[in-house]
Amino acid sequence: MKNILLILTLLFTQLLYSQEEFTLSGYVSDGRSGETMIGAKVYVPSVKKGVITNNYGFYSLTLPKGTYQVEYRVSGFETKIKTVTLESDVRLDVEIGTDLQNLEEVVVKGKAEDNVKSTNIGTIELDIDEIKTLPAFMGEVDIIKTIQLLPGVSSASEGGQGFYVRGGGPDQNLVLVDEAVVYNASHLFGFFSVFNADAVKSVNLIKGGMPANYGGRMSSVLEVSMNEGNAKHFKVKGGIGAISSRLTLEGPIKKDKGSFIISARRTYIDVIMKAAINKDSPFAGTSYYFYDFNAKANYKLGEKDRIYLAGYYGRDEFSYGNKNDDFNVKMPWGNGVASLRWNHLFSSKLFLNTTVTYSNYQFKFGSEQDQFRFQINSGIEDWGGKMDFTYFAGARHKLKWGAQYTYHTFTPIGVSAESDDVVFDTGLAQQLKSHESAVYVLDEFDLTENIRFNAGLRYSMFQHVGPFTRYIKGDLSKPDSTITYGKNELIKMYDGLEPRFSARFMLRDKSSIKAGYSYNYQYVHLTSLSAVSLPTDIWYPTTSIAQPQKGWQGSVGYFRNFKENMFETSVEVYYKGMQNLIEYKQGALPSDNVNDNTDNLLTFGKGRSFGIEFFIKKTRGKFTGWIGYTLAKTDRTFINLNDGKTFPAKYDRRHDLSIVLSYKPNKRWVFSSAFIYATGNTLTLPSAWYVQGQDLLFDYEARNSTRMPPYHRLDLSATWYSKEYKEVINPATGEKMQVKKKLKFNWAFSIYNVYNRANPYFLYIDNDGDFLEGTFKISVKQVTLFPVIPSVTWNFEF
Amino acid sequence: MEFRILRYIAPLAAVVLLLNACTKEVHIDIPGFEEKLVIDGHIETNQPPIVLISKSKEVYAPTDIDAFLSGFISDAVVTMSDGTNSVQLDVICSGNLPPGTEEAAAAMLGIPADQLANYNICAYTTLDPNFWGEVGKSYTLTVSYEGQTYTATTLISQPTPLNKVFWKPESGLTDHGYSWAELSDPPNQFDAYFWEVKRLNGPDSDPNFAPTYSPATDDEFFDGLTFEFWYENPFGDEMEDSVKWMYALGDSVVIKISKIDRDVYEFYEKKYMQLQTAGNPFASPTSIPSNFDNGALGVWAGFSPSFDTLICQP
Repeated sequence: MKNILLILTLLFTQLLYSQEEFTLSGYVSDGRSGETMIGAKVYVPSVKKGVITNNYGFYSLTLPKGTYQVEYRVSGFETKIKTVTLESDVRLDVEIGTDLQNLEEVVVKGKAEDNVKSTNIGTIELDIDEIKTLPAFMGEVDIIKTIQLLPGVSSASEGGQGFYVRGGGPDQNLVLVDEAVVYNASHLFGFFSVFNADAVKSVNLIKGGMPANYGGRMSSVLEVSMNEGNAKHFKVKGGIGAISSRLTLEGPIKKDKGSFIISARRTYIDVIMKAAINKDSPFAGTSYYFYDFNAKANYKLGEKDRIYLAGYYGRDEFSYGNKNDDFNVKMPWGNGVASLRWNHLFSSKLFLNTTVTYSNYQFKFGSEQDQFRFQINSGIEDWGGKMDFTYFAGARHKLKWGAQYTYHTFTPIGVSAESDDVVFDTGLAQQLKSHESAVYVLDEFDLTENIRFNAGLRYSMFQHVGPFTRYIKGDLSKPDSTITYGKNELIKMYDGLEPRFSARFMLRDKSSIKAGYSYNYQYVHLTSLSAVSLPTDIWYPTTSIAQPQKGWQGSVGYFRNFKENMFETSVEVYYKGMQNLIEYKQGALPSDNVNDNTDNLLTFGKGRSFGIEFFIKKTRGKFTGWIGYTLAKTDRTFINLNDGKTFPAKYDRRHDLSIVLSYKPNKRWVFSSAFIYATGNTLTLPSAWYVQGQDLLFDYEARNSTRMPPYHRLDLSATWYSKEYKEVINPATGEKMQVKKKLKFNWAFSIYNVYNRANPYFLYIDNDGDFLEGTFKISVKQVTLFPVIPSVTWNFEF
Repeated sequence: MEFRILRYIAPLAAVVLLLNACTKEVHIDIPGFEEKLVIDGHIETNQPPIVLISKSKEVYAPTDIDAFLSGFISDAVVTMSDGTNSVQLDVICSGNLPPGTEEAAAAMLGIPADQLANYNICAYTTLDPNFWGEVGKSYTLTVSYEGQTYTATTLISQPTPLNKVFWKPESGLTDHGYSWAELSDPPNQFDAYFWEVKRLNGPDSDPNFAPTYSPATDDEFFDGLTFEFWYENPFGDEMEDSVKWMYALGDSVVIKISKIDRDVYEFYEKKYMQLQTAGNPFASPTSIPSNFDNGALGVWAGFSPSFDTLICQP
C-alpha cells in the first residue's frame, strides 16, 4: 500500500511540474499504404526522450518549450527526421515511406533499444514480413507455429496448434484479434492456424509480466492486429499453394480518410482426399476443408475520431456420407469474431479507445443412420465492451485506466437423439450464462533516468447467473436430483485483486535488468478428454464447483544489446504457481456430460512451473535470425489423480531449442531455416496387463510417467522475388529509366522435416498374435505424422 | 443406444492421419508397474458363482501362454455371503473337473476342451445350490490371499425381459440385417443392461454367448421409455463388408439380455471403452474401475438374464 501511495505522490508531482511543457502528438503511418504503424519509435536525441506509438499508431510526447529534431523510427524503414518548434501543442501526423527491405544493405538503425529500455519483460513482437520468409508447413504461413519457435513457448505436438507458454495450459493464453477473443485458434485438429498471414499486420506475445489492461487468462496474451487496408491505392494480393489459396482485396474508401480490406482463404484438401482415397476404402465419402474470411474497414471521422470495424469468420467442414450403409455424418466447427472500435482524442494527451466485441465458437456433430438421428452441439458466445483511456502525462510518464465487461453464454453440450418417433431423454441442453468484468489502472513512469516502473492493479469479478439447472448425482440409495435457478438469478460470484508490476533498471547504455510480477484470475476453462486438442474440447465457466484458476508469476531478466542493437540478447528466469487447475476425473467419458453438469466430472489441483530462457537475435545484415533455448519443468498435483502424487504435465519439456536463420544474399532471394529440438512430451501408458473374461485389459498406473522420444526437425525455405522495376526508354528524352512493375510476385519453396525424422505424434500399446498359439506379443508403437514434405507457393500482388 | 461421440470422430479424424501417418515399434521405459491381484468373479440367476484369480503382469513381461494359463492362483481363501449365510468356495482345477463340465469350462476360459488338461487352471465355485444366484439378493465375495483381503458386493437385480425380438433386412438388402428388439425400461430407477448372443445354426452354432461391440448400456437416455433398437452380430467380423456385423436370413439367435448393477455397469462400460479406444490418440486412457476394494483389479459381477430366441425371418 505504501508503494502505491508513493507512486501516486510521484505522479501528482510530475503533473504539477508539467505547466511549462507542450505536447507533440499525432499518428505515424506507412507512406505507401496509409496503414498506421504500431510500435514506431518517436525519439528526441537532444533530450534523450522518446515514446512508441500505441496499437492505433498514436503517439504523444510532452516536452519543455523549444525547438527539437524529432526522429520517427520503424524497423526496416528509413528514419524520418522532423524539426518541431513547441510553443504550443503540436499535432504532427507522419508518414514513413521508403522501404529499406529492398536495399542491399541496411544503413539505418532499425528499432531502437526497446528490448533493453522498455519495461516489457517476456514480451516479443514478431515482424510479419519476417514470418512470411520462414519455412512454412505445406506452404501455409503460420504465425502460431512461428511463436512456437520462441523461448518459453512450446507446441502441443507434431504439427499441433495449441501452444503452451511457460508451463501453462493451452486455455491460459488470451488470443485476441483486433481486441476480440478467439477461443479456438486452429483449423484441422490443430494443424493450421486460423490467422491468414496476408491479413495480419502485427503479432505481439506477452508471456510474463502481463500489464493490468489484460486479464482473464493466466499465462500469456497473443495480440494479433489485422491489416487496415491500403488508404491510398486499390491493391490485390494473394497466393496459390499446395493445399490452399488466398486472395486479399484492399483499397481506400476515401483516399487518406478510410480504407477497407477483405481477405479470404480456402483449402482444397477435400479435392485431394477425393483423389487419394480409394472408392472401396471404408473412408470413401469422407470430405474435409476449411475456409476463413477476414474483413476490416476504418474511417477517420475527423482529426480526433476514427472508427474501425473488423470481422473474422472461419469454418472447418468435415463430412462423411456413404450411400451403401445409409450412414452420414456432418461436423462443422469454427469461430466468428467481430469488433467495432472508436478512437477518440480528448486532447493531445488523452486517448480513448472504446471497443464492442462479439466472439463465437461453435462445434456441431450430426449423424443419421437408418431411423436414428443424433446431434451434438457445443460452443461459447461472448458479447463484450471495454473502454481504455491512456493519458500521456509526460515524456516519461504514461497512465492507463479502463473497464471491461463480457457477457458469456456457454453451451458445454447439447444432445438430441431420436429413433423414428421416440425421442430419447438426453437432458436439458446445458447452457451457462455469466458476467465477467474488470477495472484496471496502470502507471508507467521513470523514477530516475535509469529506473522505470510499470505498476498496475486490476480488479476482476465473475458472476454465474441463471437460468441454470444443477444436477446432483445420486447413488444406489439416492436418485439423481436437480436444483433450478431462474433467469438472472445470481448463483455464484467470485472477485479478486490482481496486482501487476514490472521494472527496468538500466545498467549501462546497452544493458538492463528487468523484473516482473503478475497475479491473474482466470474464469473460463478448457476441458479436454483427449491427449490431443480436438474441436470437442469444451469451454466451461467458473461455477460454484469449478472455481477460478488463479496464479502468480515472477520473472527476472538480463537484457543486453551489442553492435548498435544488431544483436539482442536476453536471459530470463521465471517461476509460476497455479491453483484450481482443471482436469476430468479418472475414467470420465464424453457421454457423461449428458444429463449432467460438466463440472460434476471435473477435479481440481495445482501446478507449478519454472525455467530459464536464453535468447539471442541478430536483427540486421544479410544474416538474421535467432536462437532460443529454454530449460524448464512443470508439474501438477491433484488430490484425486495419480493417488495424489505430483506428476509431470503432459507438455513438461526439459529442453527446448530453436534456431531460426535467414540469409538474404541479394534483393531477389531469401533463404531460411528453422531447427527445433524438444524433449518428448509425457503420456500415460499402461504399466501392466491382465485378463478378464477372455479379454486382455490394461492397467494404467502412474499418470504421464512415460516420456516420448525427443522431437527434432529441420525445415528449409527459399523465396525468390520478381524484379520490382523494369527498364524503359523515356520517349521524350531517349534515356533509360526505371519504372515500377505493376505485378510483384514471389515463389516460396519450403521443405518440412528435411532429414525425414520420424517424430512421435503419439504412442500406444499394441497387441498382436494369438495367445494360444504362442505368437502373442505386446509392444509400444509410435505413430509419426509427417515425413519430409516439400511445398511451393506462388504469391502475388498488384 | 450409442452416445459416444469419440466413436464417430476417431475414425473420421484418423482419415487425416491416414494420408501421411506411419507406425513403428519403439522401446521406451514405462515406469510404475505394481503387481496386483486380478479377481474375475461372476454369479448369475440359478448358476453357481465362478471366480478366477490371477495377477497382473508387467507390460513388457513375456506373454508365455503356458506360464499364464498355469498362473491361476489356487491357494486363496474365497468366501461368498448372500447377506444371511456364507460359504467358502471350493477350488476346482482343470486337471480334476467333475465329469461333464469340461465343455462348459473350456467355453468359459476360451480354450479347446482337449487342451484343458494341459494347464492347471483353477477356479473357485460351490456346488451347493443354496448359494447359486437368486434374483433380488446381494452377494459379497471376500478373497484372502498373501495376508491381504479383497471384498466386493454385487446385486442380482430384477430382470427386464424384452417385449419382442425381430429381424428385418437392412434397406437395400434382402437376406441380411441386424437383430431388433423392443424394450420397456422401468421408470424412475437406475437400470443397466448387458447384451450377449449366440447363434444356433446346427454345426455352425456358436460355442458360447458373446458380448456385442458395446454390450453394456444404462438407461440414462431412455429411463421409462418403450422403444425399438438394434444390435449387431458379434460373430460377423469375417463377413463381407456390405453385410458385416449382420445376421443372415435363416439364422437362429439366442439373445441374452442381463440386468447388472451400477458398479458392474461401470466396469463393463469402461472395459469396452478401453478395448475400443486402444491406440487412439483422440481418446484419453481409460482406467477400468473395479468394484473390489484394496486395489484388486477385475470385477465381481451379478447377472440377471432374460433369454429370447430370434429366428431371422422377416
